Amino acid sequence: MSRVQFETDDGVVCVSGGSRVCVSGFVCGSSGQACVPESEGCTDASISERHVTVSFTRRVECWEIQQAQKRLVWSREQESSGQDGPLPLVPGGYVVPRPPFFRPLCTKLCAVSLALGTEHAVLLSASGAVFTWGSGSHGQLGHGHLTSQEEAQVVEALWGVQITAVSAGGWHSASVSAGGDLYMWGWNESGQLGLPSRSVEEGKLRERRTGDALVSKDLCVDSCGFGNADLDANQAEEKNKDDVFISIQAFPALVDIPQVSEIIRVACGSRHTAAVTGTGDLYTWGWGWYGQLGHDTERSTDEPALVKYFHSRDMCVGDVVCGLWNTFVSAVPEKPSSHTE
Amino acid sequence: MYTISLLNQKSVDLQNLPTLAQMWIEVRTILPSTVDDFIIEFSETIEPSVLKVLELARDHLYSRPDCPASAETAQIVIDYSWEKLNTGTWRDVDKEWRRMYSYGCLFKVLSLCNGDPSQTKVKEAIKTCDMGLLMGAAIMDNILQRLVCILKNTMKLSTNVEKCEEPRSKKMKQERVSEPVINPAQAVPRIQCPSLERFRSDFLDPQKPVIIERIIDHWPAFTEHPWSIDYLRSVAGCRTVPIEVGSKYTDEEWSQKLITVNEFIDSYILGTEAKGVGYLAQHQLFDQIPELKEDIRIPDYCCLGEGDEDDITINAWFGPVGTVSPLHQDPQQNFLAQVVGRKYIRLYSPEETENLYPHESQLLHNTSQVEVENPDLVKFPEFHKASYEECVLQPGDVLFIPVQHWHYVRSLELSFSVSFWWS
Repeated sequence: MSRVQFETDDGVVCVSGGSRVCVSGFVCGSSGQACVPESEGCTDASISERHVTVSFTRRVECWEIQQAQKRLVWSREQESSGQDGPLPLVPGGYVVPRPPFFRPLCTKLCAVSLALGTEHAVLLSASGAVFTWGSGSHGQLGHGHLTSQEEAQVVEALWGVQITAVSAGGWHSASVSAGGDLYMWGWNESGQLGLPSRSVEEGKLRERRTGDALVSKDLCVDSCGFGNADLDANQAEEKNKDDVFISIQAFPALVDIPQVSEIIRVACGSRHTAAVTGTGDLYTWGWGWYGQLGHDTERSTDEPALVKYFHSRDMCVGDVVCGLWNTFVSAVPEKPSSHTE
Repeated sequence: MYTISLLNQKSVDLQNLPTLAQMWIEVRTILPSTVDDFIIEFSETIEPSVLKVLELARDHLYSRPDCPASAETAQIVIDYSWEKLNTGTWRDVDKEWRRMYSYGCLFKVLSLCNGDPSQTKVKEAIKTCDMGLLMGAAIMDNILQRLVCILKNTMKLSTNVEKCEEPRSKKMKQERVSEPVINPAQAVPRIQCPSLERFRSDFLDPQKPVIIERIIDHWPAFTEHPWSIDYLRSVAGCRTVPIEVGSKYTDEEWSQKLITVNEFIDSYILGTEAKGVGYLAQHQLFDQIPELKEDIRIPDYCCLGEGDEDDITINAWFGPVGTVSPLHQDPQQNFLAQVVGRKYIRLYSPEETENLYPHESQLLHNTSQVEVENPDLVKFPEFHKASYEECVLQPGDVLFIPVQHWHYVRSLELSFSVSFWWS
């Protein structure tokens, strides 16, 4: 099965069935797709704005991909222990997409997966505990303060909760528990935590007030119902006064999605979040200006919303991966019978 | 080779064109005449893919400026570099990303105001220029500054016809809060225009605070066009500035937002809404609006410092009655010039630091935890041991605050002060 991983606004990497990396977008200098021949036979790959990391059974390599001529910038022979997690984890440490590329990791952490945000890292240990380090400027470490952290530190607020998946975005983090609960922390600038966001509320107000379609196409659709616009704006303003907006959430918050009992996967983009439910539905929220939420509009939302595309086509979403400004979904045409009862 | 398409009209009759359409012609004169003359250069910090998007925005401008793709491409550049500006501490953000942000703003402004734009679009364009001036770095001989002048003049001309913004400054908030009583024994000394030598030997060298009188009376801010709400509206009304909301920056609820000077005046200076205290504080307004800089002068005494005149940081402090700057210290010498209203100020010398309980966090270590005018003496028992000087700064006064001297400031009425940080 092919695995897609993507971390930039303008490049895609996929490890296709033939175990080869193909990139498309601006990174390869054309709009088409270009294969990286050097990746032949790889087992895993991940991409950033400037680099592709490919891992082979006994070796891991970093290639710079922004220039027409791809350049090997780092490589390391590795002895697999057989229990290594997926990239960016490699035996003894992990790979960051900038010099010095390799960072050692304490073996006591027993990492099973590692998510790299723009400036922070979220690690899941074999015991189900979550460790974070890096920049804490926007609360993305979940330790309750905004200071940065050199060394991996356990997220104490999640102590005792068995975590099964973690993700890291631009300035926010997410984790899913064995019981299907979703916990989020960090910056809520565009509603990416699924908590009330001032900029989202103000965006709604602005959109209803201006008939001038400066922002996006969907605005025109919206302003058709202009008769109600003033009323709505007033109501929103009323609401404004009482609402408590959250800009930074420095401790993990349990995010409740109405009518959803279980989350199984979560992925964070630079300022948006996507989650897969136990019943194979996809929910997205946060920054939406570039269509990364997959809703009919390019509006941001601070309320997790069902992506109707898959639901209406009876497609079962199995996994989701976010790039900085986009979202990739793996879905199968029919919902498994166990879920469609 | 493209040239910027002027207007759809075959022959352009400037006299009969609407003001807003004339503006585009004026804007065009400050742009490179062809796309080939429009050279964009960046260091390797910027990924080639981002540079490519920027070049697309430029090419759109010279081929079809009215095409929506032009605005969209500019927005991508803005959004992408905005994320870079928010990565790491502000100090460490590479200047190349700030330049990139300015270019994004430039192309957005041009896509907003080409042809015959609506007034809403021009307002949006002015706001975009300001965002570039506030967060970006100067590009193309400070083109955003030059653009905003053109846009602002146009707005002035066209609002004369449309009268969309009536000055509403007749009634001002007149409440007055607790008037401090100055103990003469602790009063900061006053002196009238001392010679440079005298100021150096009596105050600068021994690091003693002093109020210098009669040295700013000649500022145009007092004479030619005395600073008033109406004047500030006319010079800066449509400009976007950072505002601090919350009674003081150490509060949990404290926040910053970007609004226009008109909005600030309406909501926080004239308005009676319980939105909290708003303060245009520590902002380099005079770099953003050079017209206002004409109204002030750098005090001559700054030449006693070792730095160049360009190294002097000039900040504006404009707010209603009741703004509070908690007790804090700054790393440079300071002349605080009072232009409008009065301020109560208390000063503690650096020797008193251990009695002042600075915050422990790195971010606030230059700020005291004590509420100066209402100290919690159980939590901060040594505070009352600290000796201090105090004063009420009047319009026309200039207070010398020596480097590292702790100061606490509260406005007693509507106030506008200008601070000069120098070394």
